[in-house]
Amino acid sequence: MNQLIYEFATWLDTHSWSTQLHESFYMYNWVESTHVLALMVSLGMLFLIDLRMLGLALVDIPATAIAHRLLLPMLIGFSVMIVTGLLLFYAIPVRTSQSLWFRIKVVLLIAAAVNAWLFHRRMQDAGSSAGGSWDLAVKAPRRLRIGAALSLSFWVFIVICGRLIAYDWFDCRGEPSTFVSTITGCIADQTQF
Amino acid sequence: MSSRMLPSYTRSVAVIATIGLCLGFVLSNARLDTYSALLPLFEWMETTSFGVIGKTWGAVFATVEAVHLLAMAVLGGSVLVSDGRLLCLIFTDVPQRQVQDACHRLFVWSLLLSIITGVFMACGVAIKVYYLNVFWYKMLALTVGVVFVFFVRRPLLRHDIENLNPWVLRMVAVASLMIWFSVAATGRWIGFSG
Repeated sequence: MNQLIYEFATWLDTHSWSTQLHESFYMYNWVESTHVLALMVSLGMLFLIDLRMLGLALVDIPATAIAHRLLLPMLIGFSVMIVTGLLLFYAIPVRTSQSLWFRIKVVLLIAAAVNAWLFHRRMQDAGSSAGGSWDLAVKAPRRLRIGAALSLSFWVFIVICGRLIAYDWFDCRGEPSTFVSTITGCIADQTQF
Repeated sequence: MSSRMLPSYTRSVAVIATIGLCLGFVLSNARLDTYSALLPLFEWMETTSFGVIGKTWGAVFATVEAVHLLAMAVLGGSVLVSDGRLLCLIFTDVPQRQVQDACHRLFVWSLLLSIITGVFMACGVAIKVYYLNVFWYKMLALTVGVVFVFFVRRPLLRHDIENLNPWVLRMVAVASLMIWFSVAATGRWIGFSG
């Protein structure tokens, strides 16, 4: 698996656009800035929804209204983040694919996506079973609160991992321990980093 | 007549006087004198516990940076929702007062968190940011943002919002969005500079 990821990353690295994006000071920084600033739209909306479900913010506004109305801007924000995130990966594919933090981030992203899907389903169930009677309550039903708390936790760690990708403590170039080397996918005698 | 009218315009007079003072500060030598006088403060900041921790433990610095980002995300979310409501783009069926009050509480908490984490980060790289123009732009944008929220936006929205001129509300919302975007963008630009 690690060999496959490495080969894919080195193949991406051979693209001239990948090098140009990485080498372009302004373009790379624009993409990275857009990725980070899109946080304010995507995570900003997501956190408002989660905090409302937990009864910590916007408690005067119906919970389902918050969840439904903020969904579109949140999805727009996430779309921008995904596109710019892929471009950032494309710019530095080998090092990023072998970053411990990037790998943890991807696992957490998958977990957050599954949690979001479950949250959405639970909200539909809660709406139909309770007839929306919890909509004006300060706190959402317990299952939704658990989903919201998980969502907040996942995204806090995703952002932390995203920030830590910039640091090279566990890079393959630094000859890490066997354990770290295995989970980061370092390849013996690899020539590209 | 003029003496009776003056109290109604106290805030306008204060704003014009503040702008005049700012212009005087920028155009005179006072700006350079203040800039030079601030250097010892920044040198001291690096010697504080925050500065030492920030410089010594990269993981702590990075985690605080991430918390700063998260606080900015919540701040951005509250600004977008409250300004979106002023622009009649979202929550049009929810009373303005409810949305504005709820968002303001969230805004204040996220602003506090972002300032605390921001001070920690600045301590770790105090001398570096002292010489960065973009850092001062960010501080200027942040000051304008805070002044705008607490001395213009919030007092205005304390009135009966439904009776305010919709165009005034729209202008306030657009100005707010532009100011907080500038704060976030200049903050991001600090990372690329120096």
